[in-house]
Amino acid sequence: MTRLALPAAALLAWSAGAVVSYGYYHSPFPPPSEIRTPAAGAAGDMFALAFGARRLFADVWFIRLMQYYGTPELQEGETESSEEAHERINSAGRYPDFLARARHVLEIDPGFVMAALYGTGSLAFNMGRPAEAQELLEYALKYSPREWKYLNVLAAIGYSKAEDPAAVAGAITPILKDPDCPVMLKQQAAFLNKKIGNYAAAAAIYADIASTSRDMAYVRNAERELQKFSKVLPAGQRRD
Amino acid sequence: MKKIFSLTGAVAFNSFMESVRNRFFTLFAVFAFAAIYASVLAGVMAVDQEARVLTDFGLALMELVALAYALFSASSVLLREAETKTIYLVFSRPVPRSAYLAGKLAGSLMTSALMLAVMGLMHLLLLKFRGFGVPPGYAWALSGSLLKLAVITSFAFFVSLFSTSAVSTLVISGVFWTAGHFVTETRFLAESSGGAVAAALKAAIWIIPNLQLFNARDAAGASCALGPAAFFSAAAWVAGSYLAAVWLISGKEF
Repeated sequence: MTRLALPAAALLAWSAGAVVSYGYYHSPFPPPSEIRTPAAGAAGDMFALAFGARRLFADVWFIRLMQYYGTPELQEGETESSEEAHERINSAGRYPDFLARARHVLEIDPGFVMAALYGTGSLAFNMGRPAEAQELLEYALKYSPREWKYLNVLAAIGYSKAEDPAAVAGAITPILKDPDCPVMLKQQAAFLNKKIGNYAAAAAIYADIASTSRDMAYVRNAERELQKFSKVLPAGQRRD
Repeated sequence: MKKIFSLTGAVAFNSFMESVRNRFFTLFAVFAFAAIYASVLAGVMAVDQEARVLTDFGLALMELVALAYALFSASSVLLREAETKTIYLVFSRPVPRSAYLAGKLAGSLMTSALMLAVMGLMHLLLLKFRGFGVPPGYAWALSGSLLKLAVITSFAFFVSLFSTSAVSTLVISGVFWTAGHFVTETRFLAESSGGAVAAALKAAIWIIPNLQLFNARDAAGASCALGPAAFFSAAAWVAGSYLAAVWLISGKEF
């Protein structure tokens, strides 16, 4: 009898753990049926799930997304016109896999707000694909329905469709001070403010980019813009 | 009862000190520091997300390093003590086998906690060096890793009592660890399939501990706090493995 008591107690304890875990745990992550690997990297996704390292592998996918977006699309032998060169500098290329890659980051880690904002901003404001941006935002909202930043960007996309740059800048402005705000979105806000003649606000955003971003391309551009503003703005409104 | 606790404490302290003196322990600490430093490269690639990448890489690596040491230690300690006849010396004194096993398990968990604390400190120093503060939910992430290690270490102790070698214990425990992170996916598959497959998957959900319950480092913001259910489940699974191990060790001839 005593001999059976130990395994019985062990089973009871193990079952108690399983019962509590089963009742309590609700996964915040998308089911496996929603995970669609857009490029070579299925093994990475397996590791992400097997080691419970979703955030880490979402980071890797995000770095790959930035590398993909930062790579010129020219094929061997193809030449670049001056118009295409201008588009490349503003990252306004074709990038057909961008949506799939950006969505995949969220499939692995739906809590990666910055990646969602970066993907949406790039699609809507740089590549002129608001429908895809909206699709990405809707996916992000499915797992973070209370994320106000997504709602603001959604409104900004609506205003951009209506070609109202002042309203777009207004919708983005509350996000700019948030730590999750990608520098690309700040750049967009500064550009729009400059476009509508709100130079003081634009200068403030460029100053913020120059002092907080670690992306040297954006920092150098912000410094150039600030130099231009220093000649236009009265002394009290300068941020340099 | 007081004597049992005192004996357990003595075995735990001895086991802990033995681990700390072990050369492997030092090597793991050096390796962890070197690898965390290597993560700076990944951080640079992430530009404005450097803090997040450094945090995620460091936390994942710390857990894997501590897991490797905990599994290595748990799978070999009882076999080694039997080979060196130390266990005979212990059991020739009035030391209950349950107290011996509890002491060994506690010593192993203390070692894991120390490893996580040391590596965590190194990691935070690295983050500070790169100009970042303590990431939100950092203590919860480390606590979750420790709970996972507690569950898998106690399970490895149990397996080591019936497996034929330390390697097989390592493999079985490693598979269990991996499967433990797949419980959510297994649950989804069980719900979306039918018949014998669904029954087998549902059985697996009850047998395999859901390690995602402790995976605070994959959650974000306020949701990363571990609830009482996580602590209860961890205690229940550790107790289950421990009792099963006591049952096995009490039937062994020493």
